Amino acid sequence: MFDVQTLLILIPALPLAAALATAALGTRLLRDRSHVPVVTALVLSFAASVLLVFQLQERIEERATQPGSSQSAGVEEVVARWSWINVPDAMPHPVDGRVETPGWGNFNIEVSLRADPLTAVMLAMVTCISALVAIYSIGYMRGDPGYWRFFAYVGLFVFSMTMLVSANNFLLLYVFWELVGLCSYLLIGFWYERPAAAAAGKKAFLVNRIGDVGFALGIFLIWTTFGTLDFGGVFQSVGQHAGDWRVTAICLLLLIGACGKSAQFPLHVWLPDAMEGPTPVSALIHAATMVTAGVYMVARCTPLFAAAPDAQYVVAVVGGVTALLGAIIAITQTDLKRILAYSTISHLGYMFVALGTGTLLGITAGMFHLITHAFFKALLFLGAGSVMHAAGGVIDIRRLGGLRRRMPVTYWTFLAGCLSIAGVVPLAGFWSKDAILLSLHDRSGLFGGGLFEILYLTTLLGVVLIDFYMFRPFFLVFHGKEKIPPEAGNHLHESPGSMTAPLVVLAFGSVVVGAYFEWTHGFAHFLSFTPSFECLAQSGHTAIGTADKWRVAAIGSVLTAVGVATAAMLYLGSGKAVARLARAMNVFGLYSLSYGKFFFDPIYNAFVVWPLLSVARLAAWFDCMAIDSLVDRCGRIPKLAGAALRPAQNGLVQFYALAMVFGVLVLLGIMLM
Amino acid sequence: MHPEIALLNDFLLVGAALFGVGLIGFVSRRNMIVMFLSVEIMLQGVSLSLAAWGRFHNDFGGQALVLFIIAVAACEAAVALALILTLFHRRCSLDIAAWHFLREANQPPFRDAPLPEEPSERLEPWPHLPPAGARPEKFGEEDKYRPKV
Repeated sequence: MFDVQTLLILIPALPLAAALATAALGTRLLRDRSHVPVVTALVLSFAASVLLVFQLQERIEERATQPGSSQSAGVEEVVARWSWINVPDAMPHPVDGRVETPGWGNFNIEVSLRADPLTAVMLAMVTCISALVAIYSIGYMRGDPGYWRFFAYVGLFVFSMTMLVSANNFLLLYVFWELVGLCSYLLIGFWYERPAAAAAGKKAFLVNRIGDVGFALGIFLIWTTFGTLDFGGVFQSVGQHAGDWRVTAICLLLLIGACGKSAQFPLHVWLPDAMEGPTPVSALIHAATMVTAGVYMVARCTPLFAAAPDAQYVVAVVGGVTALLGAIIAITQTDLKRILAYSTISHLGYMFVALGTGTLLGITAGMFHLITHAFFKALLFLGAGSVMHAAGGVIDIRRLGGLRRRMPVTYWTFLAGCLSIAGVVPLAGFWSKDAILLSLHDRSGLFGGGLFEILYLTTLLGVVLIDFYMFRPFFLVFHGKEKIPPEAGNHLHESPGSMTAPLVVLAFGSVVVGAYFEWTHGFAHFLSFTPSFECLAQSGHTAIGTADKWRVAAIGSVLTAVGVATAAMLYLGSGKAVARLARAMNVFGLYSLSYGKFFFDPIYNAFVVWPLLSVARLAAWFDCMAIDSLVDRCGRIPKLAGAALRPAQNGLVQFYALAMVFGVLVLLGIMLM
Repeated sequence: MHPEIALLNDFLLVGAALFGVGLIGFVSRRNMIVMFLSVEIMLQGVSLSLAAWGRFHNDFGGQALVLFIIAVAACEAAVALALILTLFHRRCSLDIAAWHFLREANQPPFRDAPLPEEPSERLEPWPHLPPAGARPEKFGEEDKYRPKV
C-alpha cells in the first residue's frame, strides 16, 4: 500500500490541488458545488494522515521487538524533494574565476518533509478538524457570493498548515508560517466590504508581522550559530553550545514568533478581532489549527529550549500570564465568539506553561491539550456559529436566551463542549488539563520549583475561571427565558444536517478522545519517539506517585465543580446577584479592567500605533509637499519650452515659407564659411 | 573667359533669376493659383540650371533629370489644382489666408492690415447700355474719351 513517503507528499498535495481547482473553476463550472473538491481532498488527506500515524506506530512497535536497537531513539523519515537554495561555500568568482572561500559553510536549503510522531499527530489533528469544518461550511456559507473563494482559501490554508508541520528546516517552516498568516488574513477579511472585517484582517497581519520579525531574526541567529537550518543538524549540534548566550537569544526570538502566531501576551490583541471572519474560519484557524503553530514550533525546538533553561522560564511565565489574562477578560465579554477567542488565548497559555516546564511529561501534556483543545474549541465555535446562523447573525449573549428547546442538537453538543473544556471528569478536557497540572506539580519539586509552584496555583485559579466563563454564556444563551432577537425573524430553527453532523462528530471526539489516549497511554508513548524529544528522554523524569496523581485530579475536579456551580448560581437565578457582584468587583476596578480587556488596545494605540502613524503622516506630507512638487516642476519644463516655440505655428503659409528660406540661407552660410 | 563658361554663367544667372522671381512671388502673393504658378517658375529656374550644367559637363544626366522634373511637375500640377479647387469650394475664396485657422491653438488670429485708401478719383462712369431700340444719349464729354464710338 502507501508508504510513508507517498503519504507525506499526498497529505499537503491534495488540498493544494483542490484549492487550485476551485480557484480555477469556481466561478464558471463549480459555482454552488465549489465545496466538492476541497471537502473530498480534506477527507482523503485525513485518511492519509491516519494511515501515516498507523505506519509510524508499526515502526515503533518493530523497534520495541528488535532487541538490538536503542529504545530511546526517535522514529523519523525525511523526504527531500529538491534543493531549493544551494550556495556552496567555495565559489569561483564570476569574472576572474578565482575560487574564494568566505568560510560561511554551504548554504543548502532543501524542500524536504519529515514524518515523525509529532508531525503525524499534528497532521491528523489538522486534517481531521479542517475536514469537519469544511463539511460544516457547506451549510454555513451556502448562498454567500464568495462561496468558491472561501473553499479555495480553506484548501490553501490546509496545504500551508500541513506543510508547516511537516517542514524539515527552519526556512521552509518560516515560508509556510507566513503562508498560513496570509490565509488567516484573507479569511478574516473574507467579508472585506465590512470595514470592521478589513481592519481586523489588517490588524492580525500586522501584529503577526511583529512576531515574524522575531522569528526571522531567530533563524538568522541559528544560521550564524549552527551553520545549518535543518532541524536534525541544529538539534544534534545544540549540545556543543550548551550555556551559550546565543542559544538563549535564539529561543527568546523564536518565542516572539510563537507569541505572535499563538496570540500570547503581549501580542494576543489580534485574535479577538479576528472573530470578524466567518465562524468556520474562527473555528478552524483561530481556535484549532493555525494558532497552535506557535505551540508546535516551541515543541519542535525542544532541544534548543532544553539548552536554555532561562528561555524556558520565560515561555512558562508568558504562558501563565496569558492563561490568567485571557480567562479574566473572557468573564465579562458579551460577544459569544469573543468569549471563545479569549478562552482560546487562555488555553494556548496553558499549552505554553506546559511546554515551559521542559520535561517530557510537560511537553506531551501540552501537545495532548493541543489535540483535545482542537476538538472542543472547534466544537464550541461551530456551536456558536450554529446559534449565529439561526439567530440571524446575532451573537450578543445578552440578546439571546432559552434556545435549548429550539436547537436541541446545538444545545447538547455545546453542552458536551462546555463540560469538556471545563474539565469534567471523564471528558477530554479533564485528562489534558489534569496532565498539565500534573506536569506543573511535578516540576515544582525540581530546580527552579518556586516559579512553577506559582504557575501551578495560577493555573488552578485559571481552572475556576474557565468553568465560570464558559458556563456563563452557556446558561445565558440556552437556558432561562426565551429571548429571540428580531433579526432571526419568527422561524428560529435548528441548523441543517451538514452543520449538525460535524457538531455531533466533534462532540463525540471531545467526549472520548482524552479518555482513549489516557487509558491506552498511547499518546505520550507515541510522542516520546519524536527525535526532538530524545534529549528529554535521556535526562529522564521522576516517576509520579499515584497519590500525587489522585490529589491533583481531585483538586482540579473540586475547582471545576466550584466554577460551574458559581456560574449556575449566578446565571440560572435572577440577574440581581450578577449586578451586585459586578458592582462589588468594580470597587477595585476589576470589572472595568476585565470588561475593557485590560485596555491593551488603547495603550497600544497611544504608544505604538499613534507615534508610527504620526511618522507615516509626516512622511506622506513630505512626499506630497517636497518630492511631488519637485517632480511636478520638472514636468513643467517641456511644457514651458513648448509654449516658447508655439507662436511659430501661426497658420500663415507665407510665414512658413519665409522661415524655410531663412533656414536654408543660414545653412548655406554655415556651409560657405 | 572661356566661351563655354561664359555661356554657363548666363544660363545660371537666368535660372537664379527665375528661382528668385518665383520665390518672391510665392512669399508675397496670397492667391493660391498665383502661388502655385510661382512654384512652377522656381522649378523651371532649377531645371534650367540643371540643363546648363548638363551641357557644360557634356553628359545627359542633367537633362534626364529635367525630363523627370517636367513629368513630376505635371503630376504635381494635377494634384495641386485639385487641392486648390477643393479649398476654393470650402471657402469660396482663393486667399490662402482663409486657412490660417489651422494654426496652433490659443495663438492670436491673423488680421489683414487695413488696405490703403484707393484714390477714388474715378473718372466719369462708363455709359450704361440703354434699353433696346432706343438711341443712346451722348454725354457731353463722351467724345473726349471715346472718339471712335
